[in-house]
Amino acid sequence: MSDHLSQSAIPTEPRRHGLRAWVRARLTRPLLALLAFVLIAPLVPYAAMYAERGNVPNPGTALWNEVRQRTGPIDADTQVRGVESNVLINQVGERWREFRSKMLVPAGAWLLLGTLAFLALFRTLRGTIPLEGGRSGQLVPRFSVNQRVVHWFAAILFVFLAVTGLVLLYGRFVLIPLLGPEGFSATAAAAKEGHNLFGPIFPFAVLAMLVLFARGNGFRWIDVKWFFKAGGLLKGHPASSGYYNGGQKSWFWMVLLFGIAISVSGLILDFGVFGQGREVMALAHVVHGGVAVVFIAASLGHIYIGTIGMEGAFESMSHGYVDANWAREHHDLWLAEMEAAGMVGVEPNALEEVKRHDNIDFKGFGSPGTKAVEG
Amino acid sequence: MARMKFLCDTERCIECNGCVTACKNEHEIPWGINRRRVVTINDGEKGERSMSVACMHCSDAPCMAVCPVDCFFQTADGVVLHDKDICIGCGYCFYACPFGAPQFPTGGVFGSRGKMDKCTFCAGGPGEANSAEQVRKYGRNRLAEGKLPLCAEMCATKALLAGDGNLVADIFRQRMAYRGAAGLGTGWGVAYDKGLRKGSGLEGKAAGKDE
Amino acid sequence: MFLEFVEGPLWYFSVVVFVVGVLWRLVDVFRQPSRTDLSAARAGGVAGALRTIVTRSWTAKGFSRGATFHLVAGYMFHIGLFVLLIFAAPHVKFIEERILGFGWTPAPHWVFMVASDLAFAGILLLWLRRLMHPVMRKISTFDDHAAAILTFVVMLTGCLALLKSHDSLRAIHMLTVCLLMIYFPFSRLMHAFTFPISRAYTGAAMARKGVNA
Repeated sequence: MSDHLSQSAIPTEPRRHGLRAWVRARLTRPLLALLAFVLIAPLVPYAAMYAERGNVPNPGTALWNEVRQRTGPIDADTQVRGVESNVLINQVGERWREFRSKMLVPAGAWLLLGTLAFLALFRTLRGTIPLEGGRSGQLVPRFSVNQRVVHWFAAILFVFLAVTGLVLLYGRFVLIPLLGPEGFSATAAAAKEGHNLFGPIFPFAVLAMLVLFARGNGFRWIDVKWFFKAGGLLKGHPASSGYYNGGQKSWFWMVLLFGIAISVSGLILDFGVFGQGREVMALAHVVHGGVAVVFIAASLGHIYIGTIGMEGAFESMSHGYVDANWAREHHDLWLAEMEAAGMVGVEPNALEEVKRHDNIDFKGFGSPGTKAVEG
Repeated sequence: MARMKFLCDTERCIECNGCVTACKNEHEIPWGINRRRVVTINDGEKGERSMSVACMHCSDAPCMAVCPVDCFFQTADGVVLHDKDICIGCGYCFYACPFGAPQFPTGGVFGSRGKMDKCTFCAGGPGEANSAEQVRKYGRNRLAEGKLPLCAEMCATKALLAGDGNLVADIFRQRMAYRGAAGLGTGWGVAYDKGLRKGSGLEGKAAGKDE
Repeated sequence: MFLEFVEGPLWYFSVVVFVVGVLWRLVDVFRQPSRTDLSAARAGGVAGALRTIVTRSWTAKGFSRGATFHLVAGYMFHIGLFVLLIFAAPHVKFIEERILGFGWTPAPHWVFMVASDLAFAGILLLWLRRLMHPVMRKISTFDDHAAAILTFVVMLTGCLALLKSHDSLRAIHMLTVCLLMIYFPFSRLMHAFTFPISRAYTGAAMARKGVNA
């Protein structure tokens, strides 16, 4: 068509004239290409090397892998005789340090302080669990002399070991500001020596607890029901129980299992002369410290309930007798057994006690379904 | 300030234990305690290497972190020292140390170890430098006299370097450049195995080629 | 400063009180009048005395059931205590330097520790039984409890000072030792010296009467 003009005849923009315009028009692309070349070309050898790198092994690999024991134990000798003196780099140390500083110390602090806070809160809200029916004046024998001696033996050892252990774990953060470095050093030296000397006695205490308190501590269905009723801790919802309730049985098994774990790991740590390497010692410490903080936290609950938390509870372990009303409110099934055996309303007469003590000492006073005393 | 560091050149160490002997002698270290030791890997086999190791004076020292009585401190030079009067001999620093630097005088039962002892970078300990008490407890304080640790000074082949970390690293870098990468793990190659050297194309100045 | 006082003036004072007090009590025992027995002696008194000193070291036949706990815990404590008092290295050193002027080979460290463990366990069990057993609780006096607790505290402070690194811990141990020594002549702890006398007297008297007691 006649109005179809050629491209070159249509002015799109005013044509420029001059050198600058010529350069801009002709040389822009080549110049850009040159710039790109100048920037990228020097990288080519590096790229080649990079691509080729798989073919050049690092000659030091074997040596340093062996030093780090990545492929197995190190095959090395040294003139210095000692356990693991031929090991150049010990991997366990850093992992242990991370565990102790980042897990054990903070988590333990939260756990212990949290337990204390919970107990304080419980006490504020619930108060001491009272004897609802008041004292009846009738006594029921509950723990024998040997049971009480062994319990307090274990308890005193436990508290001493717990306190000295906590001084070693937390003293640096809590006591150095109070006592100064030299004062705390003396405290920590005392704590370490005390802990290491009394520690080996503790396994025997745990063993004695096992022997004297195992009877009656097997879990039954009634304990599950007891847990569902929160152990009768909430007002107006009493829970039925035998000689030991579910909470007490849990504590017994904790003492046994934690006690064994702590005793074994403690003995490994205390007697480090049998060729234990750092890995064994670090693992033993992890077990010992981890179990200890949990054990101590649980013990706070036990101590609370046994002392100020419940009216009429402490005398069971100090004198061995409990009030019949206390038994009715907290261990009703056991009370029924004792009533059947004629053991309620006994006179705590010294002679009678000795007779009873001599007859039934190791057996304690009752467990579900068995008669407490013969004759 | 300069950070003090050790570096043991495994290519040069000939396991003469001169560093061990120098340290024990200079500081009158009692029997059973070994602040420095030489470990030989693959003894008698191809690729045998020896390394002298004592306390590495870590910047983030694990021993310092785990000590229950906080008896460690670090000088301005980066040297990690401890106070024997405060130490209770619990052994935690030994569990945490990657290099096994802490040493104890007794290996007794019931956890009785005695006070910890370790390499001090010849910088003594707390208290007045080179006082009779400090020397008795920690050994000589050479750093206070402007000298470097005796183990490195006595090293027969200058395998063990000690001093300002930057300078030590520089010396080692020069050595590496001279040897070439072939010097790292197969030093035998530089001395005996020409084919290995050529094949990997990793000759350094030591091969005699112009650079 | 405190250590110097406790190991100096206080130590000398307590030694004087201890020695004079023990001798006084023993002399007092021997000064007690005894009625002359005019009947003919059935057997030698000396032989009976020596025999009874030995035989009272275990329970008589028929009493074993009630007394086993006491026997075992008692020996644990006493043997442990004697071993650690007489053969522990720091004690031997102290005796050599401050008391006798000569010493002897001390026991190895582990013996010292095991003896201490036995002694601690023994005294703790004995004292707890004193508290828990109805009869013992009723007949125990202040002296009974104080002696047990003070002895335990002396042992405990000694244990805490085992590292031998801090003067303060050693001073506390020496302080409690001095307190124990001062308390000793006025308390039931005199049984340490009077038990052979008491057993010998009973044995001699019974032997002269011809009774196997």
